[in-house]
Amino acid sequence: MTSMILVSILLPFAGGLLTLILPRGWIKAFSAVVSLLAGAAGIYVLAAFTAAGKVDSNADLLYIGQWLIYGVTLDKLSVLIGAALGLVGFLIVVYSTGYLTDKNREHPEKEVERRFYFFLLLFIGSMAGLVFASTMLGLLVFFELTGVCSWGLIGYYDNEKARKAALKAIITTQVASLGLYAATAYFFALTGGTRLSDMAALTDGAKTAIFAGVLIAGYGKSAQLPFHFWLPDAMAAPTPISAYLHAASMVKVGVYIFARCIVSAGSVPRIIGIVGASLAIVTMVYGFAMYFPQRDMKKLLAYSTITQLSYIFFGLSVSILGSQLAFNGAVMHIFNHAFAKSLFFLVAGALAYTTGTRMLPNLRGVMKKLPLIGVCFTVAALVVTGVPPLNAFFSKFSIFAGGFQAAQMNPWLYALVVVAILESVGSFAWIFWVFSNAAAGQPSEEVAAAAPLHPAMAFVLVTLAALTLVSGVFAAVWMG
Amino acid sequence: MTSIQFFVLALTLYLVGALASLFASPRTSRGVAAFFGLIGSLSALLAVVFALTEGTPPSLTLFAIQPFGEFTFQMDWLSTLMVALIALVGAATSLYSFSDAPANVSVSFFTDLFMASMLVVVTVTNAFYFLVFWEVMTLASYFLVVWEFDKKESARTGFIYFLVAHIGAALIMVTFFLFFGKAGTFDFAGIRAASIPSAVKDIVFVLAFLGFGAKAGMVPLHFWTPDTYAAAPSHVSALMASVMKKTAVYGILRVCVDLLGGSALWWGFTVLTFGALSTVFGAFYALSEKDIKRLLALSSVENVGIILMGVGLGMIGLALSFPTLAALGFLAALYHMLNHAFFKGLLFLGAGSVIDKTGTRDLNLMGGLSRRMPWTALTFLVGALAVTAIPPLNGFVSEWFTYQALLNAAGSDLFALRVFAPLFAVSLALAGAFAVMVYVKAYGGAFAGPARSEKARFAKDPSAASVVSLVYLALGTIVLGLGAPWIAPRIAAVAAGFAKQPLIAVSAGWTMLPGSPLVSVVSTPLVAILLIGLLIVPVVVVAAYGGWRASRRSNVEPWSNGYGYAAVMSVRASSFDQPVKVSFRPLYWVRTLVERPYRAAANFYNAAVESVRRAEPVVENAVTRPTLKLVETAGQWIQTLQMGDIRLYCLYIIITLAILLVVLFGGSGS
Amino acid sequence: MNPFTLFIIGILQAILLLLLAPLYSGFARVMRAKMHSRTGPPLMQNYRDIRKLMTRQEVVSEQAGWIFRVTPYVNLACMFLAAMVIPALTTASPLEAAGDLILIVYLFALPRFFLAVAGLESGSSLAGIGARRELLVSALAEPILLLVIFVMALLTKTTNLGRISTEVATGAFPFSLAFVLGLAAFAFAAYIEMGKLPFDLGEAEQELQEGPLAEYSGRSLAILKWSVYLKQLVLVALFMALFIPFGAMTELSIVGFILALIVFPLKAALWYFIAAIFENAMARTRFMNAPAVVWMALGMALLSFVFYLANV
Repeated sequence: MTSMILVSILLPFAGGLLTLILPRGWIKAFSAVVSLLAGAAGIYVLAAFTAAGKVDSNADLLYIGQWLIYGVTLDKLSVLIGAALGLVGFLIVVYSTGYLTDKNREHPEKEVERRFYFFLLLFIGSMAGLVFASTMLGLLVFFELTGVCSWGLIGYYDNEKARKAALKAIITTQVASLGLYAATAYFFALTGGTRLSDMAALTDGAKTAIFAGVLIAGYGKSAQLPFHFWLPDAMAAPTPISAYLHAASMVKVGVYIFARCIVSAGSVPRIIGIVGASLAIVTMVYGFAMYFPQRDMKKLLAYSTITQLSYIFFGLSVSILGSQLAFNGAVMHIFNHAFAKSLFFLVAGALAYTTGTRMLPNLRGVMKKLPLIGVCFTVAALVVTGVPPLNAFFSKFSIFAGGFQAAQMNPWLYALVVVAILESVGSFAWIFWVFSNAAAGQPSEEVAAAAPLHPAMAFVLVTLAALTLVSGVFAAVWMG
Repeated sequence: MTSIQFFVLALTLYLVGALASLFASPRTSRGVAAFFGLIGSLSALLAVVFALTEGTPPSLTLFAIQPFGEFTFQMDWLSTLMVALIALVGAATSLYSFSDAPANVSVSFFTDLFMASMLVVVTVTNAFYFLVFWEVMTLASYFLVVWEFDKKESARTGFIYFLVAHIGAALIMVTFFLFFGKAGTFDFAGIRAASIPSAVKDIVFVLAFLGFGAKAGMVPLHFWTPDTYAAAPSHVSALMASVMKKTAVYGILRVCVDLLGGSALWWGFTVLTFGALSTVFGAFYALSEKDIKRLLALSSVENVGIILMGVGLGMIGLALSFPTLAALGFLAALYHMLNHAFFKGLLFLGAGSVIDKTGTRDLNLMGGLSRRMPWTALTFLVGALAVTAIPPLNGFVSEWFTYQALLNAAGSDLFALRVFAPLFAVSLALAGAFAVMVYVKAYGGAFAGPARSEKARFAKDPSAASVVSLVYLALGTIVLGLGAPWIAPRIAAVAAGFAKQPLIAVSAGWTMLPGSPLVSVVSTPLVAILLIGLLIVPVVVVAAYGGWRASRRSNVEPWSNGYGYAAVMSVRASSFDQPVKVSFRPLYWVRTLVERPYRAAANFYNAAVESVRRAEPVVENAVTRPTLKLVETAGQWIQTLQMGDIRLYCLYIIITLAILLVVLFGGSGS
Repeated sequence: MNPFTLFIIGILQAILLLLLAPLYSGFARVMRAKMHSRTGPPLMQNYRDIRKLMTRQEVVSEQAGWIFRVTPYVNLACMFLAAMVIPALTTASPLEAAGDLILIVYLFALPRFFLAVAGLESGSSLAGIGARRELLVSALAEPILLLVIFVMALLTKTTNLGRISTEVATGAFPFSLAFVLGLAAFAFAAYIEMGKLPFDLGEAEQELQEGPLAEYSGRSLAILKWSVYLKQLVLVALFMALFIPFGAMTELSIVGFILALIVFPLKAALWYFIAAIFENAMARTRFMNAPAVVWMALGMALLSFVFYLANV
């Protein structure tokens, strides 16, 4: 299994480098093959792990002197997320081969740009590296790498807006990542190494300091208050990038490192749970309030991502306060949300590709004119708002149930969970209303003149829709 | 085969039907879904029949997902009754949809899915799976409501329906979370056994009642029903009104009575009060509708009110430990559920046929259909007579039991009951009087008088399958009414078993009695026989006068004071209710009362969105831009160090060397 | 008394009421004429009218359906059933299984429904307007009826008509202010249902030319008129049975039977007499004003209920 993990990390790196020198005509197919192999490797690891009885294991790989620099850890958390990210990565690459062409009515592309596939493949590799890392240094290195790739991809269109957005993104996440730097340094000073499993032996005060640093970095990367403002502007990126980085993977880095530290630390100081839960609710409410003025579909989805991430933070914080169910729910939500949100973003991309606009007031009657996109749109809207039997319901339900469970010992938690449920209903109302208006009725001008959808994009949309139908039950069964 | 096997077979057949219809052409999908719906319903009926003979409640566990619990079906008495209800009405709607449903793949798929999810909801014994399939039920019905999605209103109607249902589901979800917190499990058995503090029980009751009440369509959460039922295809409206609302009442019964154990007095009172309000307002609002489906929808609100009154009385009986009251109340509620399923299904299907043939839902544009659509007219009449509680049909039987329960409550020592029970009885009577008006308007507007539009002139009965479904439901209505002395004890047994109360006598021979023959006896079969038999009296009277020898002419116009008669002179449906609206104007005050805060809320919303829009770039302006500016300025400032003049660089080197020399050698002193 | 005897008495009683009904309507008409200081038609005129109508040709509007044809017969059958089960000659209900108060009240809805639909079926505007007014009247009167019934049922712990009647007759009944007010309210409600002025909204002869009856002719009209007369008499009998059952037989005996045969018609005549005085002291009022008067009756019924609660 370890070799497969290394494949899923290193193969995309190699592939990315190769795209810089391959002939242009080969790049698309090559990238697709590379990401397919990387994704397959991730799924193989998942299967092997399940077959081996879901037994946790570690493998130390890279040493400098007696300091462990990098190792891989296999447990439920890393295997599940790794598989998901690999799979979604492959789908995104396939989608991009169709999206970044001259048929795109919103952003036509004349020729294949190397840097897109370079950064994208590099990013896929970095994410795998982060997810399987067993040392804090490993987390940090891949954390930074993903930031760089994100900068390159956000600024891809190379116009004023995109460059500014990219700069904003990287500066914000860099400032936040100072927290992770401090945490790593402190951890190194305390334990003489950065092996994550050593965290369990630390004192509560030390754990609090480390978690504080991790949380700050996590908030920056996962666009929570007060570091949230780079995400809506990052929508200047091409839509497959918004789908992958800013919905499925990069923003999940923040929650992932938080989850990883919770797993490694054994018992976490309660103050972290209290602070985490409260800040999560604040972000949730803020993100929800920001839905209403949005006219650009991608910006609406960006704020929706912010609130979904705060759900995950909330679940993780609640798990600190005494509920394993909430932790499982949060992990399931990382898994489910990756499929759900990327589907929604890719639908937005498909709409932009065919009609040339993603402004909500201009999109009417989608179901009538573009039935395939319409159906996927429906599935996406239902999923994101947490309707069973689609996947997000199972994870949200677990988080809420865990909240009520933990609230037995912490009565003040009842209020927070109720706010979260209210927000969930409110999100449902708004997003569903927006969806209803866009999908039903007679087609608007732009929709009526829509061009046909590229088959690669159609394939990816359908696959993701099918995945959202089954991944919820799968994750629930697998985690439970 | 055992009953549970038939049940699983029924579910499988529904699901197979749903999936199969996805791969067929629109016309074929309709037939496929109808066929599987029909045999699935028959299988469910067999399950019910077998379950009645088996001793212990049959149950089956399919799988378990931790930590949510096991996925188990169990057919205890109440669930069996609900399954019977779903199967009986489902068979009729499936038969009807063979030729009179829209030829639409989405509709076919979701209809069977809808029926399957309802079957699961009423038999599953775990709160998590209950909630999942409850929402699947809502989802399926949502897609059925928006089947004509290219119409603008359908989006809005479907959205409001889904929103109200989702809010209700959220309330139910919180209920289950509270249970989970205290009991540590989602299984019904575990929740029943857990000890829950009474404050939590109170909160659970309120949430569950509101959550399920929203789906049941009780006042004040009824406003979604008219638009939703009007938009859905007719066989779906029939299913929703007849069956889906009953699953909501089942939910109230299951959660508020079964799971919560005993009962607090104020719970029963709350349910009773909301029931009475729904009864009066539902009937009253139905009066002002000219769209036949909206009229039927609001009439359903009235009937759900009657059911809730029965439930409330039963809960009061449980709280006060009055076994007779409890048994009577639940009997009335369960019997009315069954009755309403039949006659409301019948009315909706009949309305569907009428709408189909005349091309309009407007009662003012129909007319004269009793001659052109005789079967539809006859069965609709049976349904109308039943719903207005005219003896000896089934609506009267359950309303009679409701009155007897109210009488029993009014005779108790509790002052609040002594005051309110008779007043609620009066409201029931008032609603009944309104209901007569509503259905005279509906039947009269649609079937009587001259044809008021072109299409109405040439309407004809629907296809044979649909007629059979209508006749089947009408026969069911009649059997439930005339057979009451033999059916009531069965339902009383269900009520007694469910409420864990001793069984009371509700019938003796050909008569029904409310626990004791001293209070009263009534015999619907006897009344029916007498009514039919006594038709001989006027015949004999006429014969005595030799009246049968006189002839009859029927080719004249109605009397119109000497003017030439025109169809527009006849009284139409809309003009029918004017006197009542004027006399009872205060009842409309509630509607106007809601208008003002609604408008205020809309204005507030706009203001809020505006302020949010202004708040969005706050961080951008306050933090990011200044920071970037600072970085830029700092950068430019530092840049002055690197001017490009090589002489300046030489100066830097010399200065640095000098400093180094000073530091290295000046410090050491040598 | 054994049920079979009671059943026979019931049939006899119903036939008696059937035969007497046109007489009482004639009596009311004679009273009106006298109060208007004119001679008016004779007492037996209704019988002659019915005989005349029976032999005339029936003329039916061409859009009338089968409900229109069937309504007169259904109405008469229904009223005959009511006449059979109400305790008029005996204090026990002749047919106990159908002698429930709630059943009786809801049974009145059947002829009302059919008559209203028949009014709509004929397509005549007068019949249609009459139909809807008819329903309005019943909507106003039913709550009052039911409230009083409930008070009586609570006082006697039963809704069985025979049992209530027996209790009131044998004096085992707690006479009280509630009873008196209930009596007044029920009388009022019965007055409304009988269609006396100013509540003859359904067949306002001056306005609607007899409303739903307008399109009927020949034998159907005869039967329908007869059922209307019978309904009025049945309402009177109901009132008597509930509040003034004195004179009816409690035990079967020849003397009692003859006594009941004499007392009941006298009681009914007294009622018609008093009602006629009220009726002819009233003028026709605008349709919309009529309901306002009904609230007074409802107030009386509520007061009766309050007194019951206070055990007065």
